[in-house]
Amino acid sequence: MNRTPPRRASSSAAGAVAPVAPLSRDSQLAAEIKALVVGGERDAARDRYGDLVAHQQRRAVRIAYQYLRDAHDADEAVQDAFIKVFVHITSYREDLPFEVWFTRILVNACLDLRKSRSRRLRWTVPMSSGNDTAPTDPAAPEQTPEQRLVSRERADEITAAVESLPDRQRTVFSLCHLAEQTTAEVSKALGLSEATVRVHLFRAVRKLRRLLEHEP
Amino acid sequence: MTQPHLSDDRLIEVCLLEAPSVAEQQHLGSCARCDARRARLQGLLDDVSVTAVAEADAAFPQERLTRQQARILAHLQHEGRPARVIAFPAGHPHEPMASRTRPSTRWIAAAAVAGLVIGVIAGRFGHDFPLLRRPGSAPVVVSRSAEAPELRAAGGTVTLREVSAAISDEEFLSQIEIAIDGPSTAALQPLDDLTPRAWEAR
Repeated sequence: MNRTPPRRASSSAAGAVAPVAPLSRDSQLAAEIKALVVGGERDAARDRYGDLVAHQQRRAVRIAYQYLRDAHDADEAVQDAFIKVFVHITSYREDLPFEVWFTRILVNACLDLRKSRSRRLRWTVPMSSGNDTAPTDPAAPEQTPEQRLVSRERADEITAAVESLPDRQRTVFSLCHLAEQTTAEVSKALGLSEATVRVHLFRAVRKLRRLLEHEP
Repeated sequence: MTQPHLSDDRLIEVCLLEAPSVAEQQHLGSCARCDARRARLQGLLDDVSVTAVAEADAAFPQERLTRQQARILAHLQHEGRPARVIAFPAGHPHEPMASRTRPSTRWIAAAAVAGLVIGVIAGRFGHDFPLLRRPGSAPVVVSRSAEAPELRAAGGTVTLREVSAAISDEEFLSQIEIAIDGPSTAALQPLDDLTPRAWEAR
């Protein structure tokens, strides 16, 4: 997933959100679903909503998984978020990008789940301390076993470094970098000022550099 | 005027948030050190992205996403609709009750009722005539005193002497203590030690 910077334009530091040029396809779709629900055509709205879910689902599980670090919890949070979005689709503002609105709902679902999980862990003993996901190998298949081992170790190192970030920094970093949100969008999603978002982002990247950059 | 080196924070912004200005772009083109810093940071961020995406995608393969989508849509199918009311099983008011029971069943019920009535009457009768009571059922302790001459009277009627059943609590507890201290209970002591006390089980 190599990207070439710059990926997107940030809003001005004053906090005013620059008018976003044409709305995304998903935003238009969300507006269409809202119109159907308002018009009483709930079944048709639900059919269209299936398309919206399919478009946003992969991005949603990546964000939720990065945030919760547990596949079952991420699954639950994403489902909750999609259901809430449909239930409250009439409160969607068509002049705003759907992705921002949806991300905010998803992040709130993740926050709720983390709270309930911490409550649960206070009273129960987890059956296993390990993660429930299969080990991933981001390395290319044509790598030699040695190269794969090095890639695996590097991936573990990166995962540990990201997990060591404080919650707020990790959330901001995940949303800005992995979910490709602007600082203005993240500030809206998290209810923080844009300046605070930038501070958290800078701190997160500095810490990651300190942990992961090995000077030759 | 030459463009100064880019600060760390500015490099982060350039890599993550916004495009470099024209002057910064020119500087990056001419300053190998800043360009190397930018490339290193960009490489690190790309590594983090690749790792995070690979982890999430491994945890959520396509079939899991498909199942998740189906669950979401199934949930929404019932959303906003009133709950289904299950009808109470309809009765048969016109069906006579008598036809449901067979004559033999009725005879059994009548016999049971008759037995109950007889039992109640017999119990009442026995209560009113103490001589009919069985000795074991008496609520008093009955003892045969060796000194009682009546017992030795051959052919005579055996009379039973009633003793007071009312022993005091003190006597009762002391009898228990004596029984516990006896040699026959020593074998039970290990079991007693193993048994938790009520005040320990709090």
